[in-house]
Amino acid sequence: MWFFLVSDALTFSGLLCAYGFMRHKHPEVWPNPADVFTHFPFYHGHIPLAYVGLMTLILIMSSVTMVLAVEAGHRNDKKKVTFWLLLTIIGGAMFVGSQAWEWYHFIVGTPHGALRSVSIDGNWVQQTVYGANMTVNEYGLPVFANFFFFITGFHGFHVFSGVIINLVIFINVVRGTYERRGHYEMVEKTGLYWHFVDLVWVFVFTFFYLL
Amino acid sequence: MEFHDDYPQYELMAHHSEEEGKVARRKLWNVFWIMLGVTIVELLIGSFALKIGLLDDERHSKAVLKIIFVGLTIVKAFYIVFSFMHLGGEKKSMRYSILAPYIMFILYLVFISITEANYCRVHKEKMDDLIVIQKENLNKAALSGKTEEEPTEAQPAAK
Repeated sequence: MWFFLVSDALTFSGLLCAYGFMRHKHPEVWPNPADVFTHFPFYHGHIPLAYVGLMTLILIMSSVTMVLAVEAGHRNDKKKVTFWLLLTIIGGAMFVGSQAWEWYHFIVGTPHGALRSVSIDGNWVQQTVYGANMTVNEYGLPVFANFFFFITGFHGFHVFSGVIINLVIFINVVRGTYERRGHYEMVEKTGLYWHFVDLVWVFVFTFFYLL
Repeated sequence: MEFHDDYPQYELMAHHSEEEGKVARRKLWNVFWIMLGVTIVELLIGSFALKIGLLDDERHSKAVLKIIFVGLTIVKAFYIVFSFMHLGGEKKSMRYSILAPYIMFILYLVFISITEANYCRVHKEKMDDLIVIQKENLNKAALSGKTEEEPTEAQPAAK
């Protein structure tokens, strides 16, 4: 598992370095993330970074519950493993949902929009655009949106598969497979993967939202 | 059901008693509080960066702010890897075979991509043919009063 994680981490490092490259190349048209991600559920104002902070908190929290499940596995405590693993799965699902919400607001954009040059049938036309997609971006350079969708999407897919793997392990724990086996090694392995996902998010969070 | 997996026996020795578990749990929660604190500090710095003068005129982070954020991120990454992922408890050889690729390659990759990006920024006009073509077409269109045919369909240079 460790060596798979090393290779996966190198992939993410490459992506984030490519992001850093484009960002340093176009600093004057690069959007400031504090102006982009300002939404918060059930609140119609602008609170920069609050929601993504909450997402980070959820993911770190689910990492803690995972490590507590691993610790309970070391004591062969089936009840506790079940409990903590369930909380981990809920945390992961909440995170994926939050990310979908974040994407939605990024794609829809602000009500006033912004004037950008858009290519229509090969001609560059000045036009008001709302939100961001792969070709236009209200907030700045379109390549920012491309990187945002690709890197957070890649990470979100990792979280999603992590939730599925955790679910499989959870079912096995409940059915007592590992209790018969005498050790909770599998919980520890999925735990490694889950912490890795958290680790990647810590970096994505810094480079996309804070800097 | 009898189950055999081919792990060496030492792999399965990761059992501990109730008392040891209590100590381990307390440590884990301490790590969690540290990470929570670091995240909150990061968010506070991020929210008030403008007021305390850590952003420049174009609303971009100053170098100090970047160093603070990357440093705090590495602190968090250290706690995740060494405490949650138990790398601190692994053998020394294992530890280095996992960390060495990063120390060697990623630092180099970061260095080289930032350096090259700065070069590209300075020489953007010369290097980015697409942007030059777009600008020429826009100028031509402005002069003749109609839009010229634009063959490329890549990203428009947002101005």
